[in-house]
Amino acid sequence: MAGLKIIKTKIRSIEKTQTVTKAMEAVSAAKMRKAQLRAIHGRAYARAAVSILSRVSGSQEMQNHPLVATRPVVKALYIVITSDKGLAGALNSAVLRGTTADIAASGLSHENISIIAVGRKAHDFFTTRGFTVEASHRNTDEISSELIREIVDEAADRYALGAVDTVKIAYQNFISTFEQRPTLRTVFPLSLGELSRVVGDIVPAKGVFSNLHKEGSQPHTYTIEPSAEEILDTIIPKLASIFVYHALLESQASEHSARMVSMKSASDKAAEMEHALTLKFNKARQAVITREVSEITGGMEAMAG
Amino acid sequence: MKVTIAKVDETLFDGEAESLTVPAVSGEMTILGEHMPLITTLKGGTVTVRGKNIPDEKQFFEIKGGVLEVRQDGVTIVL
Repeated sequence: MAGLKIIKTKIRSIEKTQTVTKAMEAVSAAKMRKAQLRAIHGRAYARAAVSILSRVSGSQEMQNHPLVATRPVVKALYIVITSDKGLAGALNSAVLRGTTADIAASGLSHENISIIAVGRKAHDFFTTRGFTVEASHRNTDEISSELIREIVDEAADRYALGAVDTVKIAYQNFISTFEQRPTLRTVFPLSLGELSRVVGDIVPAKGVFSNLHKEGSQPHTYTIEPSAEEILDTIIPKLASIFVYHALLESQASEHSARMVSMKSASDKAAEMEHALTLKFNKARQAVITREVSEITGGMEAMAG
Repeated sequence: MKVTIAKVDETLFDGEAESLTVPAVSGEMTILGEHMPLITTLKGGTVTVRGKNIPDEKQFFEIKGGVLEVRQDGVTIVL
């Protein structure tokens, strides 16, 4: 009988776990949709800003702008975006692995790398490995404009002053619910090509929002007032904030979908285990009954004999 | 004329309008439909959007600065 009770307890605890994982799955699904929607809403802004930049990108001022001019890379700043919480499969490790691989490929030593960490996982990872973590931010569901501005200002200041020679941002790009890819983009020196790729990435490859790929036409001649230089000074920090904002949104959509998928497989696994244990329970119960019956019949036989 | 006024994380106005008055760096300017393509920086001030059907209906937006782009198919302000 003791064996029966143990199995029963196990079944109960699995049922409880399943309730939790199912609830987390539902919550993540809702949050994922929300992050996707916000990204879609941000497209008008991103597209307009990119189109403005492309009007002035051919100019000499553009090539010489302190946030656009390239120089040999001696020091690099990485903005690494991970989640605060776990239970999201290989999401964070993929981003962190991608970043360390890129650092290794650049051939720069630890002292020349600095990190801006968004999300607790990135902070923990780089602090324990002895990197200089310049700033750490939490990765909460609400993306505040202060957070974006803080990150952009810090990165832009350091780049403009020459403290770093490149600024890269690492995040998990949302492709579809089942596919996210660790992505690394160069924020500074700012380039139109890289920016267009970010804007292109906003629309996921598959799913409900994937049919938004078609774009309108563009006009030809523009009057620019007061000067290309002034426009660049205003627009470039805004463009950098598009990088940061969309990287944050993409990584949130990825986080929630990764969690949704891993919670789904946890729920499925729990159902499977529950089934197996119920079978085991029934067998054990049947064995006890059979034994009791045979004991009774054995006793009767003995008395009759 | 289609007008979009957007912040990086928020769209403040997106719709049809009769005219748009903005504080451009070179002075206040009003944009009507069929304006020539233009890009200009904006300084702090108030952006006024006049409604398409009811000309007296106005919407005001306080801005700290931004960039205005006039295209053939509409006007966009990025803040």
